[in-house]
Parts: sequence; structure tokens; C-alpha cells
Amino acid sequence: MKKVLIVGSGIAGLSCAISCAEKGMEATLVSPFPSERSQSVLAAGGINAVINSGETSDSIESHIEDTLKGGCFIAGENAVKGLCESASDILRWLVKLGTVFTTDSDGSVCRRAFGGQSHRRTCYCGSATGKQIVTALVMEARRYEGLGLIKRRLWTDFYCTLIRDGVCYGALFYNEATGAPEILTADSVVIATGGQNALFGKTTGSKSCDGYAAGRLFMQGVELKNLEFIQYHPTTMATDQKMMLVSEAARGEGGRLYYEEKGKRVYFMEDKFGENGNLMPRDIVSRCIEETGKQVFLDISFLGKEKILKRLPEVYELCMKYRGIDVSKESIPVSPAVHFFMGGIAVKNNHETNIRNLYAIGECASIYHGANRLGGNSLLAALYGGKVAAASIGSRTFEKRDIDFSVEHKEASEKLRSMRESKSTYPVMYIRDMLAESMQENLGIVRSSEKLDKGLDDVSFYLSVADKIHYDSSELAYFGYSLPGILTLAKATLICAKSRQESRGAHYRSDFPDTKEEWKAATIISYDDGKYRTYLDTEGRYEN
Amino acid sequence: MRIKVLRQKSPFSKPYWQEFDYTYIENQTVAGMLDELNYKDDLIDINGEPAPRIQWECSCLQGMCGGCAMVINNRPALACETFLKDIKGDTVVLEPLKKFTTICDLVVDRGIIQENLRKSNTYIEEYKGADQSEYEHMYAAGKCLKCGLCLEVCPNYKGGKSFFGAAFANDCYLIASRSGTMENAVKESYRTNFENGCSKALSCVDVCPMKIPTLASIAKMNRK
Repeated sequence: MKKVLIVGSGIAGLSCAISCAEKGMEATLVSPFPSERSQSVLAAGGINAVINSGETSDSIESHIEDTLKGGCFIAGENAVKGLCESASDILRWLVKLGTVFTTDSDGSVCRRAFGGQSHRRTCYCGSATGKQIVTALVMEARRYEGLGLIKRRLWTDFYCTLIRDGVCYGALFYNEATGAPEILTADSVVIATGGQNALFGKTTGSKSCDGYAAGRLFMQGVELKNLEFIQYHPTTMATDQKMMLVSEAARGEGGRLYYEEKGKRVYFMEDKFGENGNLMPRDIVSRCIEETGKQVFLDISFLGKEKILKRLPEVYELCMKYRGIDVSKESIPVSPAVHFFMGGIAVKNNHETNIRNLYAIGECASIYHGANRLGGNSLLAALYGGKVAAASIGSRTFEKRDIDFSVEHKEASEKLRSMRESKSTYPVMYIRDMLAESMQENLGIVRSSEKLDKGLDDVSFYLSVADKIHYDSSELAYFGYSLPGILTLAKATLICAKSRQESRGAHYRSDFPDTKEEWKAATIISYDDGKYRTYLDTEGRYEN
Repeated sequence: MRIKVLRQKSPFSKPYWQEFDYTYIENQTVAGMLDELNYKDDLIDINGEPAPRIQWECSCLQGMCGGCAMVINNRPALACETFLKDIKGDTVVLEPLKKFTTICDLVVDRGIIQENLRKSNTYIEEYKGADQSEYEHMYAAGKCLKCGLCLEVCPNYKGGKSFFGAAFANDCYLIASRSGTMENAVKESYRTNFENGCSKALSCVDVCPMKIPTLASIAKMNRK
């Protein structure tokens, strides 16, 4: 029986595990916490699919076109085609698994308008779509857990992959219970660890998604892609602990953005782009908000309490709970914040990386969203990517090889031992906080060569000291050993942003404000013994 | 204000109390307070002794993942949605959930929740469709965080060996109402692992952060 190791148990990991089990393979889901703690549960707005009960003028071609256009034409056409063509099957599958979709009186799944889309095709479960999908997938995974085809390993943190001669044979983990490293071998390894929130500290996402796996794989020879494209969600609400996402569904239901000037409301998005201005793609709305230089508000009060509680209950509860705002009476103060990473691990159309038998899926992989992701496409991509990777692994034959990884195991043991014995009281988090501050300042919505250089200076300095400092051993060892990987990923991100001398999608350079034809390709970055090398994938090396 | 934490180095070591001073911030949550306490400076207790960083679990920080469930001033709650301004008095007492094994400090092993659902075969298998009038109930039940707060307050839940608690009852409802093949098996499992042990104290309903109408789940399952 083929064995598949899946690192991360959110929607992408669950989709892959279930698909592997359906094909008779044995999938092991490895994560520190159960699926209910994954960032996937925060996905609010919905999942895009062209379905029979939808608008008659809508088509799969239109979904493909919107996705490519939203991504500013640097996402692979074949990959996007596969994604959009599979969307209705994926939706049917989710319904069959018991996902509690919001439905019309005739039982057909409801759809709402989302930014950058020509038709209403975002199917949803209230404003907790991700959570409802996780619940359904966890139940389905449970069925295969009973059959022994899906296994779960909790309290287990990724350390590194086990690679020889360009082939992956498994991964090394840190076992939180024993404090020791542990080798798990498999025919294939699938990375499904989410985005790199830790680079920016306060984001809309989970604290558990830190980008370490992508950073560590990069240091092990895995190529990364399009790191400069970071989505700032235009409508987030600041609280002391994080930036809370006010779902795009609020604008999908008619919500209006404005600022106040001389006692009057200025609906700047509608003034600039017409009546659908509030639903422009996220990169454009975020930049427009930044340009106002003013406190911007989102008004949904005119929808009325009944409709808000029916369609957007989580938005109502969130604003009331964390800011005491009754959205049926008051507007919500909003500002853009880091929300999604279009860039990540470079994968081919079957989701395999440049290392054989090593795959990446979900937000940690870069493939479908180009320079800017459309709302509703991330859940679709996570589910689809998991299925594609499972299909690829299922079609392969694997050669059994006994390879000795005792050197890697010993190195990890030594590293963990020295961290355990540290008497320092200096916490790793101080460096993570400094990193986040610098990245927020220097890799914001509007970038410039000067700011990117400043960011590179900061991160290079943190990297130069990261391995020399002894850290507080009362923190989880994971935080200590993950720091160089996170910093390396941050540096790679800044280098990608500096290398792209144009503005496209979520990457806006004040010193290169125009979009240029010669840059219409993905950025690929590789790492070799401390050296970073970028190139534009004009030949479509990952497009097959 | 005074923060009193029940600490424990490992599952095998003895718990002990440690107290800290903290400057009250009105809109701060217990989660934000813990983060600040841990990382604003070196962690020093009220006796001036250096203390190890306080371990606690968190992911979403907005009441959607259930990671930060703990006992706050004798009441089980999510730290990320408990505000200091709502706490009576000037002392915050933090303890780990007591119905689960403590891993360290405020981190507990809640794996028994998933394990019980797995071993009782709580899954749909063949979906037969759903009664649309049940939408709101299904939607609420589908939001269960598996945080364990309902089990912590339940007078009947003793570690999950025979009585599985409210989280299990809600999943049973989601399956029995929509599965074409598992309805009978789930009803049987519900009787064995829930119905016979529930004394209807309903403390689970009051404590649930997602406001799941567990009483309605119980009523519907009992009628089946």
C-alpha cells in the first residue's frame, strides 16, 4: 500500500488525505493540533463554482477569464482551467459530504457576488464557509480513520524533509511529547501548512501559520514562486490582538465603503469605478483605501438587522464582540491588512515541487492566483490541489529504497538538546516581533527600492544573529529551530519584491508604477548555500 | 491587577500556583494579556523571581478555533473572547481545563473528543439530503469547535470513557438527520454513549461559545 505523509490538516490536507484514502492509499496527517484549529476555519465568504442553478450567462470560461484577469495574467492557464472546470464537481462533493451550505427555498446552493468577478458564483455557508467545510471533511476523514486508511499524528511539528539526490523519502518531525526528533518515511510527502503569516505578525489569519515549512524547504533546495504578491484584504477591523477580517461577503451583499469629508460621506470606490466599485479586486480596493489617507468605513446597516443576521451573522457577532459596534446601526472602521499569500512553494500542475515525490497544496503552494487572488478561489484551490496531488501520487509507482537518514536525525537531536539546555531568558518572539515590524513597514501596499533595501538590511541582520543567540528554553523548541527558516523566507520575499521592477496586482512599486509586458511571468527564486537567485519563468517551467 | 496561574511543567510534574502583576488595559482580552505578559519583558513573578513563559494554546484569536479554552476565574471560557473589563474584582485566576490531561501550564490534551467520535463511527457515509427547515440548527451544530468547554462544565462527563458529552450529541444529530446508512448505528451509539448518561443539567448550552442549541439536538435524537 502506498504511504503518503501530509504535513498540515486544514482543508487542503484533509482533501488530499480523503482522496488518497478513496484510492486505497494510506495517508498520515501530521500537525501540532487537530483540524478544528487550522486557519481554514477562518475562511468566511465562500467558494467559487459555476453551477447549473447559477446565472445562465455565467460559464466556466468566464470563471477562468476572471481568475486569470484577477491574477494579472501570470497564473498558468492550464492550471486555472483545471481548477475552474473541477469547481462544480467539488461543490457537489462537498454537498454530498454534508457541508451545510446556505440554500434557496428550492434547495439549490445560494451564491453571492464577490470582488473581481463578472457573475455571482460564490457559493457560501452563511459567513462561516471554511468552518462548515472543515466540519464536513473531518467527518469524512473519520470514516477512513476507522478503516485505518487515514492516520493522525498530533503534537508533532515539521522539522525538515528527507531528501536524497532530488528525491523526497519522508520528513523529520519534532515530537512535542518526547522532545525528540522523529523520522516518518513515505512514498510521497505533501506540504499543506498554509501561508506565511508570521512574517507580518498581526494578520487576519492564524498564529499557527508561520511559513517555516516553505522557508525550510527553500533552504533544502525547493524553489519558491511569486513571493512578492501578498494580498492585503481591504476590509479588516483592528483590535488589540489581531486584524479581524470583515468578510468580502459584506460588500457582496451590498456593503458600501466611504470616508467622511466636511460632514459628508464620500463613496470613493463608487465615484471612481461606478456602482460595482466596492467589489473591485482586493488589490485595487486596498490601494484606493490607502490613497485616501483617511479612516475608511464600511456600511451595511441599510441591509437591516434581519438580513444581516441571516446572511452575515458572523460579521454582526465579530463587530459586536470585539469593538462593541452594532453593524445594523453603525458603520465599521476598516483598513487593509495582510490576508493571503499568492506566492509560496513552486509547483507543477500536478502539485509536485522541483523535488520528486514532494508536493505542496493549499496556501503554501503558488499556482492558481497569479498576482492577486479572487475571493472564493482559495477554498476551491485548497480542495482541488489536494485532489490533484492525490491523483498524481496514485498514478505513480514507487521504488522501495532503504536510505539511512541517521545523520539528519542526529543533527536534529543535537540542535534540540542544546536548545533545551539553554539558560537564556531571551525569547525567540522578540526577533519574530522585530521581523514583523520591519516587514509591515517595508513591504506594505506601496513599495519602493529604498524601503525594500531597508527591509533587506533588517532581515539580513536578524539572520546573521539568529543562530548565535541562545533562546529561552521555556518556549516551545519549535519556535527556536523554526526562526532561521522564517527569516530566510522573509529575505527571499524581499528579494523577489525588489527584483520585480514593475507594478502588477498586489505588488505596487512607487518607483515602477507601470505594468510591463516583459515582466508578464512568475518570479522563481532558488537558494544555494546562502545565495539567492531569481529568474522569471518565461518558459513556463512549472506550467505542465 | 493580579494574574494567578496554575502552572505545570509536564504531564508528570506537580502543579503549582504562580502570581504576576499586570497593568490593566480596558479592551484587552485574557489571550492578549497572556501574550503581553509573556513577551513584553522578562517574565517575573510577584516575588521577583524569573518565571518560565506561560504555555497556552492559540490559533485564530477570534473565537473560531477553540484552541484557547481554559478556566478563567472558575468559569470555563475562551481566552480570546473573555475581556478583562468583564472580570469581577482585580484578580484573574487561570487554570487548565480539568477534565483533560494537562500537557503543560494551560495546554491540555483534548484528543479524547476526536477519539470518541472516531471509535463510535460518527460519519455520514451516504448523504440522503437535508430538511431545509433544519438549516439553522445544522449550521449551528456544524460550527462546533471541539473546544471541550461543554465537557468541562458537564457534571456527567468524567473523562470520556463511557459518556461522551454534548460535542458528541451534536455530531450525532448532524449524522442521524442526514445519513441514509448510518442513522441506526448513530442512534445506537448515541443511546450507549450519551442518552443514558445525560442528566440534562444543560450547563453545556450556557457555556458553548458558538451558542449551539444542544438541547434541540438532544430532543431530536431522543425522538428518533
